[in-house]
Amino acid sequence: MKPHFLAATALAAALGYAGMAYAEDEDSKLVEPLAAYKSYVADHTEKLLENTTKFTAAVNAGDIAKAKALFAPTRMDYESIEPIAELFSDLDHTIDSRADDFEGKEKDPKFSGFHRIEYGLWTENSTKGLEPYATQLLADVKDLNHRIENLTFPPETVVGGAAALMEEVAATKISGEEDRYSHTDLWDFKANFDGSKKIYDLVKPLIEKDNADFVKKVDENFKVVDDTLAKYKTADGYELYDKLSDEDRKVLAAKVNVLATELSTLRGKLGLN
Amino acid sequence: MSAPETGNGKPSAPSARLMYLAVAAAAGLVLVGGAAFYVATLKSHHGDDASNIKVAVTSKSCEPNEISVPAGERTFEIANTSDRPVEWEILDGVMVVAERENIAPSFKQTLKVRLAPGDYEVTCGLLSNPRGTLHVVPSEEANAAPTHATMRSFLGPLSEYKFYLGRQSSAAVRTAKDLADAIHAGDLAKAQALYVVARQPYKRIEPVVYRFSDLQNSIDPVADYFEKREADPAFVGYHRIERGLFVSKSLDGLAPVADRLVGDLATLDERLKAMKMTPGILIDSAGNFATQLSRDRLPADKSRNAQGDLSDIEANLDGLGKIVGLLRPVVKPVDPALAQRIDTTLSETENAVAEHKTGIDGAAPDAPDRPGQRKNLVAAFTNLADALNQLPSAIGIDSNGT
Amino acid sequence: MAHDPEAATDKPSALAADRRKLLLGLGIAAGGALVSSLVSERSLAVEDKTAERQVTDAPSSNRADVEQRVPFYGVHQAGIVTPRPANGMVVAFDVIADTPADFDKMLRKLTERIVFLTQGGQPPSLDRKLPPADSGILGPEVFSDNLTITVGLGDSIFENRPWLKHLKPKCLQKMTQFTNDALVAELCHGDLSLQFCANSADTNIHALRDILKNLPEYLVPRWKQEGNVPTILPDSDGHVQSARNFLGFRDGSANPHSSNEALMDEIVWVGQGDGEPEWAIGGTYQAVRIIRNFVERWDRTPLGEQERIFGRRKMSGAPMDGKTENDAPDYAKDPDGKVTRLDAHIRLANPRTPETQKNLILRRPFNYSNGVTKNGQLDQGLLFIVYQADLDRGFIAVQTRLSGEPLEEYIKPIGGGYFYVLPGARESGDYLGRKLAEAAAAGPPT
Repeated sequence: MKPHFLAATALAAALGYAGMAYAEDEDSKLVEPLAAYKSYVADHTEKLLENTTKFTAAVNAGDIAKAKALFAPTRMDYESIEPIAELFSDLDHTIDSRADDFEGKEKDPKFSGFHRIEYGLWTENSTKGLEPYATQLLADVKDLNHRIENLTFPPETVVGGAAALMEEVAATKISGEEDRYSHTDLWDFKANFDGSKKIYDLVKPLIEKDNADFVKKVDENFKVVDDTLAKYKTADGYELYDKLSDEDRKVLAAKVNVLATELSTLRGKLGLN
Repeated sequence: MSAPETGNGKPSAPSARLMYLAVAAAAGLVLVGGAAFYVATLKSHHGDDASNIKVAVTSKSCEPNEISVPAGERTFEIANTSDRPVEWEILDGVMVVAERENIAPSFKQTLKVRLAPGDYEVTCGLLSNPRGTLHVVPSEEANAAPTHATMRSFLGPLSEYKFYLGRQSSAAVRTAKDLADAIHAGDLAKAQALYVVARQPYKRIEPVVYRFSDLQNSIDPVADYFEKREADPAFVGYHRIERGLFVSKSLDGLAPVADRLVGDLATLDERLKAMKMTPGILIDSAGNFATQLSRDRLPADKSRNAQGDLSDIEANLDGLGKIVGLLRPVVKPVDPALAQRIDTTLSETENAVAEHKTGIDGAAPDAPDRPGQRKNLVAAFTNLADALNQLPSAIGIDSNGT
Repeated sequence: MAHDPEAATDKPSALAADRRKLLLGLGIAAGGALVSSLVSERSLAVEDKTAERQVTDAPSSNRADVEQRVPFYGVHQAGIVTPRPANGMVVAFDVIADTPADFDKMLRKLTERIVFLTQGGQPPSLDRKLPPADSGILGPEVFSDNLTITVGLGDSIFENRPWLKHLKPKCLQKMTQFTNDALVAELCHGDLSLQFCANSADTNIHALRDILKNLPEYLVPRWKQEGNVPTILPDSDGHVQSARNFLGFRDGSANPHSSNEALMDEIVWVGQGDGEPEWAIGGTYQAVRIIRNFVERWDRTPLGEQERIFGRRKMSGAPMDGKTENDAPDYAKDPDGKVTRLDAHIRLANPRTPETQKNLILRRPFNYSNGVTKNGQLDQGLLFIVYQADLDRGFIAVQTRLSGEPLEEYIKPIGGGYFYVLPGARESGDYLGRKLAEAAAAGPPT
């Protein structure tokens, strides 16, 4: 590191809080969006903890109807922050893995988390035996909340997260395999799209001047996704996945691919490797 | 008020009068010699007393009251010629660029600071005194561009710190609101309990927020800096409430003070959200603040309740620890030894605070500080400050190589 | 024979070709035509090189093959009467294009990619911080490698769009189930089909990935099937016989000659007098069928039975009453099916009567091998692709005749679809489906 290069910044730093002129650095522009994204994530993890507490309480109380009603909305706060949440692979595994991830599928003793409870509530139509999973889920979410609070977000992960969310949807969700017992996939979609769009919206001001076509295309595609999902909005959430028409599924698939393709350039556009 | 032990162990040797004369002479030179004097100071760089810019703080103003220096790192020598402890600050608008607090009467202190070109104000003793002016003129050493790579490594830490500042300042507003509610409700016991809680968030981000001088003067001023001390109508903020809750044990007159505090903290919250983040915020703040703690504040306990004082220190240390944690990945690759030293001194300081806490626990909230009890604490913070003050040169931010 | 220069220049002898393959395969580029007299001299060097090669060294190809280029522009699309290269792939897509303008954009973009991919070149290099423009699986230079990409449109793209519906070719329809079919919904139909054919399978994959990357807003893949044809040693007289399918029989024996333009105009290409929409002239109907073969069972079937089912000798490919593959069976002399069973595959498929001449079709199939089924059997079969000017008279008539054939016990069509292959793009600046897009933009006749 070369001491003198930073001198101007240091001076500016010592003095420049109130907006004194100093050499503007490209990267420094990302500080605001990154900090704002952390706030977004922190808000969602707090809400996730709050809702998971209620959801697992319902499971433990044997209240199937209430647990079912809380399942999808509770997941949304996890799905919207997945780029960060999945940085903790141990927790992602215990919180959000699917039966396919285990050799013994649904009957595998290691299968846990949201989808294990989902399986119990919908397929077995019972809360019997779910208490340990509910207890673990709540503990995991608390742990996640704590870890995220203390995490310095890697800039590449945040900016890359916009595309990563779309890749997730494209590779493992558009088929409706995520919430296969409850068919509440559209809630997840909405959260994934919102999470992606949040990142994009935060950095958009930094790039829109030089990337008008890109911004136009991404905005348009998000809009179509929003409009398409809006068709399936109900009073308290979204229709079940099997209500999604073939035509709309195709549209979503195409938009997801376009967004994944376009947003994959976001990191590069912002000078991140 | 007894004369405090000086933090840096360098009480000024000469008598006050002699000192005054020396400063006055230097000041005269400044006024007469103008720029020539500063060219000379520039050429003789380090440690030389002659290169220090000397300022005297009288009971009415600063002498000289108008100073001009070239940009870069400068050392000021501040002599307190008044009859009460004073602070001396360099202000950019409302922002504190650097300051020395708690300069005892008849003592002088030095303040080293890197200055960018521009016009600044300086505070001179009592808050009601007229401010002096400081002109910083452009110089060679201040002209250089930051490295992209280096800025890059600060991106994550700065973002996280910005988030942290926002979270804590929001919490400060929220908890102050709770405190104000308890005061309005006339619940002294609850207000006493909430006071300690309400202080915490503000104290965690104090390494940065103390620089907002206008807010600092209404949020967390010390009575000594007001002409009529505790009785001064301008004495507001946390300590005014603290005095009511723990000394007077009465809520009389506290409601408007609490409401104003909530308002001031809300303003602070807005300012922090709008604040431009630069690496210097992290690099400078920790060292500066730790220095200030060890040198100015810890030796002179401002708090009127021992528990509250310890909570303040804990929260301050929390806030320093946050910065240390953020800088660790930046420092480690460039100076692993320093990274290690900072971690060690930090945990030693944490231990010292814990020990101190054991000593205090059980004591009456308003029990006087036992003499010497703070020695370890001050020493730990001094070591921490020394380590943190190496950050600018280790990270490569100090062009003078000091 | 191998040293006969004439045999080497124009039609290499079997031996020369064999050596040539060996040489090229081992990394000695022989340039254009191989001079056979060099063969023996080079042989030693070849053996030495073999010893030096490492397991991770790429199997080498040769410049002549990778630079083989099929012209893109023309009256018809390439990849239909073009001699079939070793590797083929059909991918069907759902198309997202709600307006004639989107449809037009898609066709232009698709054409642009096909031109680049089939003619070869260097993809642009981008900032390293950005995803690369090209997947890079072919290296820095994208060779043409004999690639053709053939675009067809399915029934649904017309039916589901009011502005296209009136322009649908008259025979285009959704593939319906024949009696022996067990169609899997996920492997059937589509708005658009792309047939990729190239010397190497990787060239096809590269092309597909390029198109997906460049047209994500328009194309959502629906199903895909890759296949290949085995390369075959020419006969001693230089004649190359038909390739074998996974049942071990020669496939394509009685195919009409694709080099005969007049014949192709009659059998394959839609012309002025065919009653098709104006935009469709120069196109053709494509029928694709994914036909699973129950190869384990087939291998446990007596040879005689196999030959009776097909109506041909397995090794030679000759009809039951002939000597070579090219001999024509004389069914007139065998009205009761004593020599060639009346329900033999080739007899039902092409009864060789004057009335059935109109049912002739141009087959262009590939063999596929996908893995193992749930039951532990090999998932192999035929990626059957056929072209004709009239779908009803062509594939549908032939397949209807085949219904109930004994071969059905060993085969199971599980997927595919019917598509109308767009006419060619005439010259640079023109694009595939331009006339259709223009007609769609103009709106239905009032």
